[in-house]
Amino acid sequence: MEISLVGLSHHTAPIEVRERVHFPEGEIARAVEMLRARPGVAEAALLSTCNRTEALLRLEPDTPALPLVADFLADARRMRRSEFESYLYHHSQRDAVRHIFRVASSLDAMVIGEPQVLGQVKAAYATARAVGSLGGVLDEVLTHAFAVAKKVRTETAIGASAVSVSYAAVELARKIFGSLEGRTVFLIGAGKMSELAAKHLRRSGAQAILVTNRTYGRAIELAEELGGQPIKFDDLVKYAGQADIVISSTGAPHHILRKQHGEQFLAERRNRPMFFIDIAVPRDIDPAMNELDNMFVYDIDDLKGVVDANRRERQREAQRAEEIVDREVDRFLARLKRLELTPTILALQEKLHGLREQELARARLKDLTPEQRAAVEEMSRSLVNKILHMSLTQLKRLPQEPDGLKLIEFIRQTFQLKD
Amino acid sequence: MSLLWLWVALLLYSLGLVHAVVTVALRRERWFRLALGAFALGFLFHFVSLVEHGLDTGRFPVTNISDATSLFAFLITLGFLLGYWAYGVSSLSVFVFPFVFVMTLAAALSQRPLAVGPPILESAWVPLHVSFSLTGYAGMLLAFLAGVMYLFQERELKRRKPRAFYYRLPPLETIDHLGSVALGVGFPFITVGLLLGTANAARHWGPDWMSDPKVMLSFLLWFIYLLLILARVSAGWRGRKAAIFSIVGMAMALASWAGNYLSSHHTFLGR
Repeated sequence: MEISLVGLSHHTAPIEVRERVHFPEGEIARAVEMLRARPGVAEAALLSTCNRTEALLRLEPDTPALPLVADFLADARRMRRSEFESYLYHHSQRDAVRHIFRVASSLDAMVIGEPQVLGQVKAAYATARAVGSLGGVLDEVLTHAFAVAKKVRTETAIGASAVSVSYAAVELARKIFGSLEGRTVFLIGAGKMSELAAKHLRRSGAQAILVTNRTYGRAIELAEELGGQPIKFDDLVKYAGQADIVISSTGAPHHILRKQHGEQFLAERRNRPMFFIDIAVPRDIDPAMNELDNMFVYDIDDLKGVVDANRRERQREAQRAEEIVDREVDRFLARLKRLELTPTILALQEKLHGLREQELARARLKDLTPEQRAAVEEMSRSLVNKILHMSLTQLKRLPQEPDGLKLIEFIRQTFQLKD
Repeated sequence: MSLLWLWVALLLYSLGLVHAVVTVALRRERWFRLALGAFALGFLFHFVSLVEHGLDTGRFPVTNISDATSLFAFLITLGFLLGYWAYGVSSLSVFVFPFVFVMTLAAALSQRPLAVGPPILESAWVPLHVSFSLTGYAGMLLAFLAGVMYLFQERELKRRKPRAFYYRLPPLETIDHLGSVALGVGFPFITVGLLLGTANAARHWGPDWMSDPKVMLSFLLWFIYLLLILARVSAGWRGRKAAIFSIVGMAMALASWAGNYLSSHHTFLGR
């Protein structure tokens, strides 16, 4: 079985090349049909995202994969081969399977663990299956890749922690408060990042949003946009104690909330914790506030530090994911080997003829004349051959069917063929 | 038979122990559901063992040290399972699984035929006193564990540089709530346990019952427990202070337990 993967990705090719090789979503179906129609191609699937364009192929024996795909891309994208050929990589057999498993599990992604890529691989599978370019082998490879991706996601924390500043803020809030259901958020000053964080918080269950700004009009505007309540800037200290989470990003040259404010809030709130997200530079919130019990103050550098730590955590988890992928590649290849056609046919022949001889031995043929015995043997042999002939014609077509390998497996089980 | 069931429970608990060791050694949680299942099953066998032991001896099985240890391990498990069911806090298991295993092992190894005890232990009040007190202790232990977890997680959040604990431990408020519930449930039990014990002691030991070290330590423990609850309810103590106080409370509970060895009166059978 000649499984090959040829393509280019953000690891090898610059954006200028990737964007030209990229297939728009609407063109994939036709492209994969074209690819399948090339001589030597038995099965094909095509994955094209902003980070990678890859062809997964099963080829007839002795078909060189790299030039085949290069020619196809040049034709389909109307480019010269020299424009992109040096960026192409080629994996075959085991490496090709491993590569597609890693891609589906988001181990090869630009941001490791980002979940979109699995959806993109699934879409590529659906398209290829719809246009009939998949046979039994690649169908197995891809469906197994989905299973591996799912396993990686449930058994490792590869996608668990936030890798953007605004999500990191939400995650920290969860680490402090547990559920964000019913919490109050106070937005001091406007700004893209703080609005984004407020929206994430609201989506995670935060209930009330208070908004204030030096220009009251802007506060009203923003409050409307976020479905919150505008507060006059002078009343800031009066209301801040009601908030569980304070996001601050004013242009003030000095601290607007000091440690003694914090003490006052804690008294008002009977020590219920508060989380301050200070995105402003210079900082709005006195870092000394963090020294108070139940007060947690994070400035922009702290948030970035959390994001970095999360990235490192993802890297650690990625190593475990690689182990899972390696194990699954072994298991998958063992399964493919077991489901190869020729050994299955041989085993089936052996099995049926074996049964015939067994039954002949059991039947009482001693009393028959030699002619009669020969006639019975001949009859049983031709019966077995008829049955074999019918199923073999069918069996030989199976690897071309998307579900062919499953049917081979079914036959192996039905006739109890040994592995 | 009851001892056999106890060993079965112990075997199942040992899976929990392995899980805790693996989790700490590899710094990541694996096979938690499996370990939890084994642990819950162990809990059932433990229950069967306790009931059967009670039926065999014809009394509530708390009169010797091995029985009390076994019951205590059982109550801790109960508390942990309830806590997990209500809050989904799996990280407590790292502490609870080994602790329960060791306690149950101690109980299984030290179990021996029942001796006939002094008349004070024949009183119907004694089993009640012991079980109420042990339930209170179990609450205190869980509050202590919550307190320790709180301090670790709070340190991570205050230092603003997340490391392993940040990723593995539950949210602060969840831990705080767990601790306060454990205290709130434990307190009435410890109060009733103490009252029963006091009444019994006053009746049997005569006028000098007050001067027994065990009695004094127990009252001190109860007083600290009361302060802790009052501080939470009225002064709004929570978080870090409450966590530290829970840890102090546990130290007092240990001291009060150690009081068993100082007291000439307050003993278990067969020691």
